[in-house]
Amino acid sequence: MERSIENIWKEGFQKNDDLTAPEIDNLYNQKSIHIIDKFKRMFRNNLIAIVVGSFLFLIISYFLDIPVMGALFFVTLMVHVFINKNLLKKLGRIDQGQNSYQYLKAFSHWIKNQIAINKRLSEFMYPIFFLSFVLGFWFKDAEGTYLGDRLVDEILIRFPDTYLIVGIPLMAIIIAVLIMGLLAYFGGRIYRWDLNIIYGRVLRKLDELMTDLESLRS
Amino acid sequence: MSSDFYKTSILPFSGIIIKLCRAYTNSQEDFEDYYQEVCLQIWRSKENFREESQWSTWVYRISLNVCLTLLKKKKNNSQHFVSDSLPAQETEDNYAFSDESLNLLYDAIRKLSEIDRAIIMLYLEEKSNQEIADIMGTNPNNIGVRVRRIKMRLKKILDGKIN
Repeated sequence: MERSIENIWKEGFQKNDDLTAPEIDNLYNQKSIHIIDKFKRMFRNNLIAIVVGSFLFLIISYFLDIPVMGALFFVTLMVHVFINKNLLKKLGRIDQGQNSYQYLKAFSHWIKNQIAINKRLSEFMYPIFFLSFVLGFWFKDAEGTYLGDRLVDEILIRFPDTYLIVGIPLMAIIIAVLIMGLLAYFGGRIYRWDLNIIYGRVLRKLDELMTDLESLRS
Repeated sequence: MSSDFYKTSILPFSGIIIKLCRAYTNSQEDFEDYYQEVCLQIWRSKENFREESQWSTWVYRISLNVCLTLLKKKKNNSQHFVSDSLPAQETEDNYAFSDESLNLLYDAIRKLSEIDRAIIMLYLEEKSNQEIADIMGTNPNNIGVRVRRIKMRLKKILDGKIN
């Protein structure tokens, strides 16, 4: 007689010792392989690297006579760290004891939120980095004067008709604004491409699970 | 983790953890990783247990949530997010139950989507539609219909194998 799956299940587990728990030792010190813990580790390591790197660059920039660049980089990166540290805290608050729908929704919401926030940050950060770079060299000391002022003087000698706005050639302002605009546009996109490589599969999978669960909720 | 906590709060429920982890893995190595991770996450989340549900339900929830979002090891050592809508890989020879019919059933279960796998596992553990819905956060009315569909699908897969 054909056995039902219920009987296969019951009888299968009754007559053998297949449910013996595997040996677990040193569980305390095991590195968690869970995706949330992996995110936490990755996030934390990135933030530590950014803090250390920006501090080092701040010091180096002082010795390279470009402290303005170092300071602007430092402030921008600290804002990035602060925002992402808050995101990390929220990730830690996801309760795994919720039902699957709430749990997956909370996790999916966290990922999407952090992507949206970091994409927006990238749209600002790349132009700010460029501006920091330009200002860093503009205010670099060049024999008692700023390198930028010296450059403007040189330009005025060669092109006396150059139109200036607050002492800066209009053409230079237009080029800088254009570059910043392009960096803002591509900054967000570059971040999304990066993300697609790292999280693409996770996001697609989460979407699949959520869609399936939502069909069971309606 | 204190060994007392493991012995008193996890080990009595190791059966369901094992059954669930087996449904989401294809090798002994992955299974042991999943089992350890579920135990670790139960221990870490224990402070959040508010006795609104039974401890066993809590264990089910965490086990299931961990299995749904765990990174499965690939043979080439790189890792990817579990994608089980794809056909299951063949199981390893040393990774099998002693009951052949049970092995066939597990192979069939591994071919289901992740959510269907969870539902049928809970159903086979004799959870009511309401309990399954509570654990998964779904509508209990839809669970019965889905269980019937899953059973038909399993039957098809098993018939195909047996024939």
